Amino acid sequence: MSIATNALQLPGAGNVSFRPAIVIPLLFAALFGPWVGFFAGGVGNLLGDWLSGSGVWWNWDLGNGLIGLITGLVVYYTLGRYLKRKNIIFAEVFAILGIVVGIGFASITDIWVSKLSFSAAVIGDFIPSAASDLINGLILLPILLIAYTAAVRRSGR
Amino acid sequence: MLINFPYIERDSPIHRLDTRAKLLFLLALGLAVAQTSNFWFMLVALILASIYYGLAHLKWSETRKAWLLIFWINIVIVLGNFFLTGGHVVRGADLTQEHILTYFPFIGFTAHAPFIGPAMLPLSVENITFLITQAMRNFSIALVAISLPYTTNPSHISSAIKGLGIPDSIAYAVDLTFRFLPTVGRDFSTTMDAQRARGFELDKLRGGPFGKIARMAPLVVPLVIGSIIGAEDIINAMELRCFGVTKRTWLIELRARSLDRILIALIIAAFLAITILNILGGYYPDSIIHFMHIQGIPTFLTR
Repeated sequence: MSIATNALQLPGAGNVSFRPAIVIPLLFAALFGPWVGFFAGGVGNLLGDWLSGSGVWWNWDLGNGLIGLITGLVVYYTLGRYLKRKNIIFAEVFAILGIVVGIGFASITDIWVSKLSFSAAVIGDFIPSAASDLINGLILLPILLIAYTAAVRRSGR
Repeated sequence: MLINFPYIERDSPIHRLDTRAKLLFLLALGLAVAQTSNFWFMLVALILASIYYGLAHLKWSETRKAWLLIFWINIVIVLGNFFLTGGHVVRGADLTQEHILTYFPFIGFTAHAPFIGPAMLPLSVENITFLITQAMRNFSIALVAISLPYTTNPSHISSAIKGLGIPDSIAYAVDLTFRFLPTVGRDFSTTMDAQRARGFELDKLRGGPFGKIARMAPLVVPLVIGSIIGAEDIINAMELRCFGVTKRTWLIELRARSLDRILIALIIAAFLAITILNILGGYYPDSIIHFMHIQGIPTFLTR
């Protein structure tokens, strides 16, 4: 999904694609919990980088894993069910928190890994990546949660 | 959509190297070069990484796309970092006396509104050395990181993860993720074709950023929901076959050669030695082991 949608670029932010694939770890985390979210985010990012041939970048893999881990904590409140609007709003709030912490971790570790300054890590790494993930996550997550709930109801699983 | 792994089957020393050794080398190198901003240390790391990359026998035509991205990212990181710090870029090294070569006019942050205005950017021996060191650090990691997907058979990843002491359930989940990709790729093509028949075009989405994302729902929703339902079928099949009840065996068993074992031992020993030197160097500023805490600029440049 990330490969297919790389052509869609964010206006104004250089080399930052829309990244709608970020919704995958958010959705899996909101449905199946923090560890599934951590795996989906971490291994998903690793796989995306692997397939594009651009190598392995451990701090960004871990950061994306954290996005899933923190978003997944919402299941302790919602139990992975999204029939009520309140539960979807809670999932959105945890997704915001997860994106801020996860992308924050990846950006801040770049201060150590790439010896970036704090301002460069925030302006160059954190703001474009977090903005893209927040826009995508917050729009697509409720759509997918509603669709998944409907699919589960229909299939009787 | 056809999903192709970048792996290129070839007989090179790096292709033959045990996957665990490659993963460990990448991790150890990344963590070692992050511990210092010493020019000479970074030069040695870059030379080592270049030799490693050279042994992989990869052609420019095969890795061009990845390298163009890395060059672009590195330029943005190094120069962006310089301009955003107003030239005061040197970090992780003792900087008691800076040798300024010149100042040039640019814009910078100010303490009062509008918080941005004209500023003079210093160009010194120290910050130029730092920029070169930073670029060398990024390229040395990239040389090893890029060669990994091109020289490692994807079917060996999960066995390598298992071999590093990770539990079966996690290693098998990684294996399934890699195996599941062609299925997701096929579903993506089917969904895309079905939606195109209804007039949906991914590259012709209208509206601003928010509108474009919302209009991707006809593609994203069936693909994701279909994948989850497909994954649930796999889980049911695995449970029926009592997955996780006893210890698993693997179709591909990685067997480390003597050379791989020696290399793994060397990688771990070198990483530990560098880390200990870095820690001890902080306590003995007058000793030779303090070298990781200084930039290591040749003296003739600072005269």
